[in-house]
Amino acid sequence: MRITPSTARTRESSVPWADSAVIAVRGLRKVYEVPEREGGVRAAAGSLFRRRTREVVAVSGIDFAIQPGEVVGFLGPNGAGKTTTLKMLSGLLYPTSGEASVLGFTPWRRDRAYLGRMTLIMGQRNQLTWDIPVIDSYELNRAIFRIPWPEYRRRRDELIDLLEIGELVRKPVRNLSLGERMKCEIAGSLLHQPTVLFLDEPTIGLDVGMQRRIRAFIADYNERYDATILLTSHYMADVEALCRRVIVIHHGSLLYDGDLPGLVRRFSPHKTITVEFEEGFSQAPGERLAALIAPAGEVVEQSAIGATLRVPKAETARVTGRLLAELPIADLTVEDPPIEEVIERVFSSGSSEAPGQDQVAAEITREAERR
Amino acid sequence: MHALMVIRTYLKLGVLNVVQYRANFLFDLLSVGVYLTTSLLSLAVIFGQTQTLRGWTRDQLIALVGIQILVGGLNGLVIRPSMQQLMENIRLGTLDFMLTKPADSQLLASVQQVNIGSIAEVVVGLAVILTALARLGTEVGADGALLFLVMLVAGATIVYCFLLALSTCAFWFVRIQNILVIFQATFNEAGRWPITIYPGWLRATLTFLIPVAFAVTVPAESLTGRLTTLTTLATLALALGFVAASRWFWRVGLRHYTGASA
Amino acid sequence: MATLPVAEQPVAEFERLSLSALLEFYGAKFRTELALQFAYRGALAIWLLSLVSQPLISLVVWTTVAETNGGSAGGFTAGEYAAYFVILMVVNQLTFSWHMWEFEWRVRTGFFSPVLLRPLHPVHNDIIENLTFKALTLVALLPIAVTLGFAFDARFAPSLADVVAFGPALVLAMALRFLVEWTVALAAFWMTRTMAVNQVFGVLSFFLSGLIAPLALFPAPVQVAAAILPFRWSVAFPVELAQGQLSGVEILLGLLAQVIWIVLAVVLLRLVWRHGVRRYSAVGA
Repeated sequence: MRITPSTARTRESSVPWADSAVIAVRGLRKVYEVPEREGGVRAAAGSLFRRRTREVVAVSGIDFAIQPGEVVGFLGPNGAGKTTTLKMLSGLLYPTSGEASVLGFTPWRRDRAYLGRMTLIMGQRNQLTWDIPVIDSYELNRAIFRIPWPEYRRRRDELIDLLEIGELVRKPVRNLSLGERMKCEIAGSLLHQPTVLFLDEPTIGLDVGMQRRIRAFIADYNERYDATILLTSHYMADVEALCRRVIVIHHGSLLYDGDLPGLVRRFSPHKTITVEFEEGFSQAPGERLAALIAPAGEVVEQSAIGATLRVPKAETARVTGRLLAELPIADLTVEDPPIEEVIERVFSSGSSEAPGQDQVAAEITREAERR
Repeated sequence: MHALMVIRTYLKLGVLNVVQYRANFLFDLLSVGVYLTTSLLSLAVIFGQTQTLRGWTRDQLIALVGIQILVGGLNGLVIRPSMQQLMENIRLGTLDFMLTKPADSQLLASVQQVNIGSIAEVVVGLAVILTALARLGTEVGADGALLFLVMLVAGATIVYCFLLALSTCAFWFVRIQNILVIFQATFNEAGRWPITIYPGWLRATLTFLIPVAFAVTVPAESLTGRLTTLTTLATLALALGFVAASRWFWRVGLRHYTGASA
Repeated sequence: MATLPVAEQPVAEFERLSLSALLEFYGAKFRTELALQFAYRGALAIWLLSLVSQPLISLVVWTTVAETNGGSAGGFTAGEYAAYFVILMVVNQLTFSWHMWEFEWRVRTGFFSPVLLRPLHPVHNDIIENLTFKALTLVALLPIAVTLGFAFDARFAPSLADVVAFGPALVLAMALRFLVEWTVALAAFWMTRTMAVNQVFGVLSFFLSGLIAPLALFPAPVQVAAAILPFRWSVAFPVELAQGQLSGVEILLGLLAQVIWIVLAVVLLRLVWRHGVRRYSAVGA
């Protein structure tokens, strides 16, 4: 095993358009060809001879660039093309057109030097060997990624320690619970200390405590090794905790690229105001409240003890002032709406373009991604 | 009847889906062709050296090959692909979905997949049998045909039960998906010879293969006029015994099944 | 232009696959594979049954033919048939591989996705799996073969040259059959169900590698086909050699044919693999 700093290559981004980015994507597009036939025997017999196919656009030309050390959340509803993109970036899929550069490599050439520096972790699929103890799979990875023994032992023990899996690694994978397996999976995928991580739903199906631990671990790894991470998740808590920046795609195209607060600003022009009335304020203010926040505000709910209101951002200061002046208020908070709500809004606004067709497309993309 | 309806629906879906694998369909046809050619060629090679093999003539053995192809085809239509799927289901834990359906689990498991390509085997098998009979100059009367049919059904049943039992092993052993492939290869080999050629001690050793070869030899004996009443009864008893035993084994397997871990 | 962080730390040189690194992988993989296959001993036993029974059936058929014919048929005595098929049993086991039957499953379940992302060609994984399997099953098969040899009174008389040439001929046969079958297995990249392809290949291989009868008994066209295709060189040749059927020149020519076929097979494998993976990645991994 010849691994010395002197032989290690310094790879600089060889593609000018990728600039200083670790991950750069330009016009990336993926179209699946899906065979289709009508139901019924005659159609079945017909397609035996003449097969009809239909093109389904999974990713329709997206651009973005990610700088070293960034943790980016990759968001979108099911079938939006997230997994397809991750698979293209990790080298599993050839794009139909477009370019990508990760660490200066074109991923789908699957250059060994590239594969040795990145990892793809999929929450729904395990790559550890099912029937042997976890630690044996690790050793196999050591040989595959040519990690020198002392280095291997150090990293392994560190990972085991960080993920608290000391008890588990001597058991065969099939005897582990979903969460335990995921932790072992993560440790195994990081033994070669990749600097680029693609995480596809790393916390899916796990309980809240386990999710939190994995989240903390990912943040820690990012900090320790200045790793660049692209992560998809349906749990907004993951994204909020880890990602300063999010990229939202929908129906295969880029909808938003920027920080989380920006996403909220852009897609939710409202603020939520929660008020708590003073004790002794015996009845709900009813009409009075509605009048106070008119014309643009709206009462979400109210009772004798408090109310939740939604008002346009620009109106916030004015409405707050009026509320405090007119009503016996004990407490008042102004918040952005919950991120889940914003995301939902983003997706529903995006899908209004061509609902029926897209529904089918999403379905098929999902099918393709599952494979 | 509910069971029949279930079978019919599965068969229909199977037929509809065969087109997804049309390359496979063509290869199925090719596969039977190649198999038949090699069978006939190896018979030619053997009978280039000798006149009879333990009392069986060349044409009688051709009839035997035809029966083997026919029995293989009958099982290949539904049983074999279903068993393959069954083992996959056991391994992945998706058998759960089948067990929660309101129908007999063994039935569902046995008809869940159809491979239409096997029709080719059935047709070729019948053609080979008829050709062999014509060459032998044997007249098969109505009662002879009936006897043959009964023996054939008994034979196919024995093979089915055996396949089911093999697949049921997947409840205990991991990674035995290949078992059916191996069985098929061995069955193709062992089945094309009358079991009478194997020395007694070997028959005892190959206990697992012999009943299956037996299932092919017996219908051939009925066609070539060498079937004794004793063998007839023994075959029927064996078939019934296999049905009962494989059903019992299936139930034991189910009890053992816990679903794939979380 | 900023330097990428990756350059700051040493990374193994994956561009060049050094022999020592490969051997190290082989070693590690062998250790885990041994444990793994031992866990799958049910499957091993089943494979073993087929590896024994198929040559055994041919053995029974041919010794029966020889005996009913008054002791010999087609130039072989009953004892020589027994020897042929007993040696064949061992050679067949040592050259055997099952990857053809597994690739469909691998493609369908996405087994390949993580494997493709390793900085190592997947064939190395399978080479070790295969060798481990052979090592484990040989332990059980050898005593069976010897017992059968005695039970059927096997007769064979190899010369010293035969014994010397048997080693390389066997190793080359192992390499050749593995390479060819692994390449055929790649059909799974193009077809969703490969069972039928495999069956056609299996039957052909069964027939043309001398598992049904010694190739010398077949009509000339079949013999030519077996010699042009890789089948004779991947199974029958070492058996004929060990049995003492071949002259010195035939042995040398046979070894040459094996080498030529191995080179061809490697070229073919690389070609098919490259296209297959491309397709796999185009359709959806």
